[in-house]
Amino acid sequence: MITVRNLTKYYGDYPAVRDVSFHVDAGKVVGFLGPNGAGKSTTMRILTGYLTATSGQATINGCDVFWNPIEARRNIGYLPESCPLYTEMRVDEYLLFRAGLKGLPVRDRKIRAQFVMERCWLKEVRRQLIGTLSKGYRQRVGLADALIANPPVLILDEPTVGLDPTQIRETRKLIKELGQEHTVLLSTHILSEVEMSCDSAIIIYQGQVALEGTLEQLKQRHPNGNLEDLFVSITGAIDR
Amino acid sequence: MRSTLSLIQREFAAYFLSPIAYVVLVVFLAVMGGHYWLAFRQLTTSGPVGVEFPWVVLLDGYLFWFIFLLVPPLITMRLFAEERGTGTLEMLMTAPVRDWQIVLAKYLAAVGFYLILWVPFVFYFPILMDLNWNAAGFTLYAKGMVIALGMGIVLLIASIVMPIGRKGLPCLFSLFAFLTSGVFAYFHKNHDEIPVLTAGIDPYPALTAGIGIFFVGLMLLALGIWVSSLVKSQMVAALLSVSLGMIFLIADLMVRLFPPETPYHQIAAYFALPTHFVKDFGRGILDTGHLVLYITVAVLAFFLTVRSVESRRWQ
Repeated sequence: MITVRNLTKYYGDYPAVRDVSFHVDAGKVVGFLGPNGAGKSTTMRILTGYLTATSGQATINGCDVFWNPIEARRNIGYLPESCPLYTEMRVDEYLLFRAGLKGLPVRDRKIRAQFVMERCWLKEVRRQLIGTLSKGYRQRVGLADALIANPPVLILDEPTVGLDPTQIRETRKLIKELGQEHTVLLSTHILSEVEMSCDSAIIIYQGQVALEGTLEQLKQRHPNGNLEDLFVSITGAIDR
Repeated sequence: MRSTLSLIQREFAAYFLSPIAYVVLVVFLAVMGGHYWLAFRQLTTSGPVGVEFPWVVLLDGYLFWFIFLLVPPLITMRLFAEERGTGTLEMLMTAPVRDWQIVLAKYLAAVGFYLILWVPFVFYFPILMDLNWNAAGFTLYAKGMVIALGMGIVLLIASIVMPIGRKGLPCLFSLFAFLTSGVFAYFHKNHDEIPVLTAGIDPYPALTAGIGIFFVGLMLLALGIWVSSLVKSQMVAALLSVSLGMIFLIADLMVRLFPPETPYHQIAAYFALPTHFVKDFGRGILDTGHLVLYITVAVLAFFLTVRSVESRRWQ
């Protein structure tokens, strides 16, 4: 569903992503792991077409993100890192606007908005201004927006950052449920999240893929069988 | 198409959710009102003084032009700068729309707001044209028809302005108003005299001034949106585009400073917006040379905006 080949991105002289290749099969929930600044967000931004890669190729559901950006973006629901929203709009207004922006016909917009508001537990705040919502609710609005056009692929950049433990648990549960219908690529640096909601993981470090595989495969790579130890042994120079 | 329409709607509605829009509307209304009062006083004064072209009085003076050149930057400053500042541009640019559609939608929304700014002008028309009507033609039915038609148009505009979920009611009412207007027109049709408006003052300067104002707006808004796409701060965007607009005012100063037939004067005359209105548009002359300037600058600025938005992806 998502294929990335030799993706490289330079910011000026600084290589943020270096020769990254990976593949995500349809219907899988894949964790995109790495320390801060490893190039997770950059890779996701290239996949969603926000940035253009310096070299390399990425396809979403068979559509090249560079040559066929509109079709590729139609296949993606994207939740950016800090979840920027129009704070002056109401929740339902915002979702209807996003549905229109993503090209849904007028009569489907309301139905889809209702559906995603139910899905993301937004019913009770539907007439509230987004600016007055708490961080957790905003994150849900962002998630609802990603879901609104029912895209086959979801790309979620740190979906649980800044949430309280209950909300984190709810979000993980939701992501797990979404994994049954959508292909999900979610970035995080919280390991328990990967263990709880993902089928497999890609560990990225200093702009390169360090390890890739299902959770079982990854756990076998380290004598302890512990994902956290594995992660630290790859990315942390202190423990080595 | 659907995406562009939703985007235009959101951008247009967003104007009415920000206080700056109301400040602009009120300040501009005050300045226009002041100028209208000047024109009105000159029209009604007795003796040999007076004015031949009331539109020239309305669209002249450095105070007016200074305020007027502030307006488009205030309208356009938020379009891209705000979105870049808050990061919402990422949401927009990862949606399945082309970059030019984003720019076009924002531009059209700005043009829409600019046109609303000039709506009070419509109420000056009857005085500035010295309109008269034949009382016999304006029967009860004719009056009803005109009023219902006006209400229908207002409601239609309201239904366009309204946010997406609540268009139904004004749309329905405007349809009802148009139907009523039609019914009145049907009852009026057997009446001998039709309602006629006659203008005591040449009405065509109103048309040319309107065309001039519209295209000047297109140009200044395009410049403003371009500047907005370059910077991250709304304040910087506003200041930069005001300075760009001031070029046209400085050109006007140069026109008045340098004697005619000198090259400086001739070059400056191309860009001197106030002179364009005083000499041509305000007097009913439609100089296509000026319009060509406005349109080319607008097209160029629009093109540069699309490029500047696109270039974000390459950084």
